[in-house]
Amino acid sequence: MQRLAEIEIPADELAAARAGDAQARSALFTRVAPPTLAIIRRLVRHGAMADDLLQDTLIAMFEHLGDFRGEAPFGVWVRSIAVSRCLMAFRSPWHRARVALETWTEDTRAATESDGRTSDLIDLDRALAKLSPVTRAVVWLYDVEGWSHDEIARAFERTTSFSKSQLARGHARLRGELRAPMTAALSIPLGSEFDGH
Amino acid sequence: MDTEVNDTELAARLRRLDAGAADPAPGFDYQGMLERRVIRETRARRRLVLARGAALAILVALVGASYWRLDDHGAPQPLVRDETAPAREHETEPRIVRADTYLAVAALEDHIASLDDALNVARAYSPRGEEVARLERTRAELLDSYAQVRYAELVSANF
Repeated sequence: MQRLAEIEIPADELAAARAGDAQARSALFTRVAPPTLAIIRRLVRHGAMADDLLQDTLIAMFEHLGDFRGEAPFGVWVRSIAVSRCLMAFRSPWHRARVALETWTEDTRAATESDGRTSDLIDLDRALAKLSPVTRAVVWLYDVEGWSHDEIARAFERTTSFSKSQLARGHARLRGELRAPMTAALSIPLGSEFDGH
Repeated sequence: MDTEVNDTELAARLRRLDAGAADPAPGFDYQGMLERRVIRETRARRRLVLARGAALAILVALVGASYWRLDDHGAPQPLVRDETAPAREHETEPRIVRADTYLAVAALEDHIASLDDALNVARAYSPRGEEVARLERTRAELLDSYAQVRYAELVSANF
């Protein structure tokens, strides 16, 4: 999988997209949309909500193409838009209610869609799905995207100790969840399989 | 057996999880994105029109009711009751429909919240841009409508 931060856009394609060329914009969409959706899905996980956030992110990206000065790689710039849209969604009371109602089933489904990964990664994905959206975002941004506590604190409009405590809490929870399958395996399932005659 | 995973190992596993995952396919292409945008904007406009319509209807109803009260029905009743009075009173009984403002308020609040989000993004890119000015104008209009509905609610509660 190509990471969003590492994506490279040819300068001429970017210039054409900036000038409003529909074909160049479509090509830019094709390059940027999948890795952007990947990071949004990591933070949000809810399918329909992730699609809405992808839409918002890419619309903002196209609207502000003229503001991109090339000081950071293009993918990093798009990633910052995507993350800020996700954090905005976390703050919205409508989205909070929606997530509280719908996340569980979506998360379980997403986590069980294992595509040939090793069992420890499937367990980790499942454990990650059980974290709260904010904790998961902090863990993901720090451990995978390589953000510092300062950057996370700025993005969340909180202090660095917030970021540190969320990370510690997230790690502890993940460790607990990764231990849990072993304990679960020891318990005797009393379901229908053993009831049948 | 020590099954504890330390922070570094956990981070490494998370990076492996990221590297091993397939790129998800978006549910729409570039054209689809533009169409979705048009649909969302149309819905937002419709919500705004509905909210404004509801606010206006409530205001008209309240002004009408106030006018009716001030006109002649607010005058003191005669001490001696006419036999036919109950029938007449019944005939002239005001027909006031109390409209619930909940939906109008909720729609306006929803719209203002989404505008705030859009404003935050727009300000992050160009604090003095044209888009920021346009969004601020729209927000001011919405707040105006919101204040009208709230005022209508207040008047209605004391009516």
